[in-house]
Amino acid sequence: MGVAKFLGKRLVALVVTIAVVLAVAYLLMYAAPGSFFNSTNIGASLGQLRLQNPELYRQYVEQFESRYGLDQPLWAQTLKYVWHSLTFDFGTSFANPSVPIMHQLRSAFPISAILAIGSVVLSILIGIPLGVVAALKRNTWLDSTLTTLSVAGQAIPSYVLAVLMVLLFGVAMPGVVPINGWGTVGEAILPIVALSAGNVGVITRYMRGSLIEVLRQEYVRTAEAKGVPRFNVITRHAMRNSLTALITVVGPTFAFTVVSTVWVEQIFSIPGMGNLMGAAFPTKDVPLSITSIYILSLMVMGMNLVVDVLYRAFDPRVALE
Amino acid sequence: MAVTELALGVVGDESSFRRTSQAQLAWRRYRRNWLPVAGGVWVLIFVLAGIFGPWVAPHHYTDTDFLNANQGPSWEFPMGTDGLGHDMFSQILWSIRNALEIAVGATAVSFVIGCVLGLWAGLRGGLADQAIMRVVDFMFAFPSYFLNLILVVTLGRGMFPILIAIGITGWASYARLIRGLVLNMRNGEMVEAARSLGATWPHIARRYLLPNVLSSMLVALAFGIPADLVIMAALSLVGLGLLPPLPSFGNLIAQAGPNVLGYPWLLYFPAGIFALTLLSFLFVADGLQEAFDPKGGS
Repeated sequence: MGVAKFLGKRLVALVVTIAVVLAVAYLLMYAAPGSFFNSTNIGASLGQLRLQNPELYRQYVEQFESRYGLDQPLWAQTLKYVWHSLTFDFGTSFANPSVPIMHQLRSAFPISAILAIGSVVLSILIGIPLGVVAALKRNTWLDSTLTTLSVAGQAIPSYVLAVLMVLLFGVAMPGVVPINGWGTVGEAILPIVALSAGNVGVITRYMRGSLIEVLRQEYVRTAEAKGVPRFNVITRHAMRNSLTALITVVGPTFAFTVVSTVWVEQIFSIPGMGNLMGAAFPTKDVPLSITSIYILSLMVMGMNLVVDVLYRAFDPRVALE
Repeated sequence: MAVTELALGVVGDESSFRRTSQAQLAWRRYRRNWLPVAGGVWVLIFVLAGIFGPWVAPHHYTDTDFLNANQGPSWEFPMGTDGLGHDMFSQILWSIRNALEIAVGATAVSFVIGCVLGLWAGLRGGLADQAIMRVVDFMFAFPSYFLNLILVVTLGRGMFPILIAIGITGWASYARLIRGLVLNMRNGEMVEAARSLGATWPHIARRYLLPNVLSSMLVALAFGIPADLVIMAALSLVGLGLLPPLPSFGNLIAQAGPNVLGYPWLLYFPAGIFALTLLSFLFVADGLQEAFDPKGGS
């Protein structure tokens, strides 16, 4: 199957999947008890209005509902919502009726994307050499230390690590690295490190495993037998194949990193997508909630597609299907 | 002659010898490293704290003591108090109980759903298999945390709703595992060999299938519980954790955020204990995996 046809098929599948997810998300949030109006955030000012002038309050609510199409039948609402989302017409959030969600995304999304991509790139750069070292020094103290550290990195989620780093650089040795905010290069250090520890662990373990596997292959022995220097055997013959296998790990790793940015942003008060979600979900701000997970999921699924195409490009044994 | 006797001796001893040997071998491999053993000890302490914590806790989790708010660790408050005068030690003990209830419950829900769908896919095959595996692929590719968020909004923020919200999204890996085991059993060489030796199905199920399945499932569950602990605490970070005043590690970590520099003990203890617990669970899971499957794994 040609690349174009493969891509076309996958894109159609992606759009259908996203549409189903959006519809289910909308229906579930619609079914959720309580509405944006009953939640405590907006209750104070509007609650007063309701007591003082019930008629005006009713009008306000009606206006609000017709503005967001909440007075239409459920199926129509859902279809409309899915269609508007798929065409990137997100409208405005409940909390902020004057600012289009697109505007909020424009400032929040790049931050999360930088964090996620930065972390994955950094983890690959650190994880591959560590994995190679562990594989070459197999069954030594160095290998077992690296393997144990990898497990530890995978075990502790990014947000707990972030908290521990805030304690370290906020209480124990203040002033070394900024522990809060976003805007300078320094402020990106701790979040990216917190996001990367687990990824480095995953990549190190995977690289170690696949390299050990490849080093057992006969073509490696052939290369050694014909007198290729050890360094070249590893870099040119063995690593090239184990790197191809590594591409398959990048997809899930990226997906998990995108979710982790949401958590880490909350710890370091970074105004990214996690910040939007933290504001939207507890108040049942339906458009902003669904749009933020939609955009992040789109990034994850797009990355999965790229990874699939790359994997098939690098490994001719795998047919496009 | 001696060789025959030796062989006979082994055969005669086989049934009693072999029955214990798999578990014993696994245990021997498990305790070879100190990390899984240490992790196991901590997990045991954690579980005991979860079971008996509410009786040990000096205060109820709703007890406040405004005169002693924001106190550092002392004999009266071993882990300090927060801004409302909650005793952090008691808060943590109750958090452990809530964390255990939800993580174990959610894992059980995922496991049951995974078993049913995995068995269905593996045994029926055909269209059912394809449809279920499609959904499994989706669950693997899609960040399920986002589904958790939507489900928590829909179901609510109590103990049981959160348990269900986490459990209902986590079944994909169990379904894939069980389907793989079923297919392996149906077409595998081990079963064919046993069949050709004249073994009956009950015998095959008891002696060959069950031990294999049990160890794989134990390892999967050991990885599943800490993963659910992580998700549960992460819900608090976007404000969808257990509804206060119910304490949880996520709530403790999320609430402490802005005050961290003035009152660092509000984070030292919850974050430290939570991190130690997750580490221990993973070392145990890793140790189990290696103990049961010495050749495979990483």
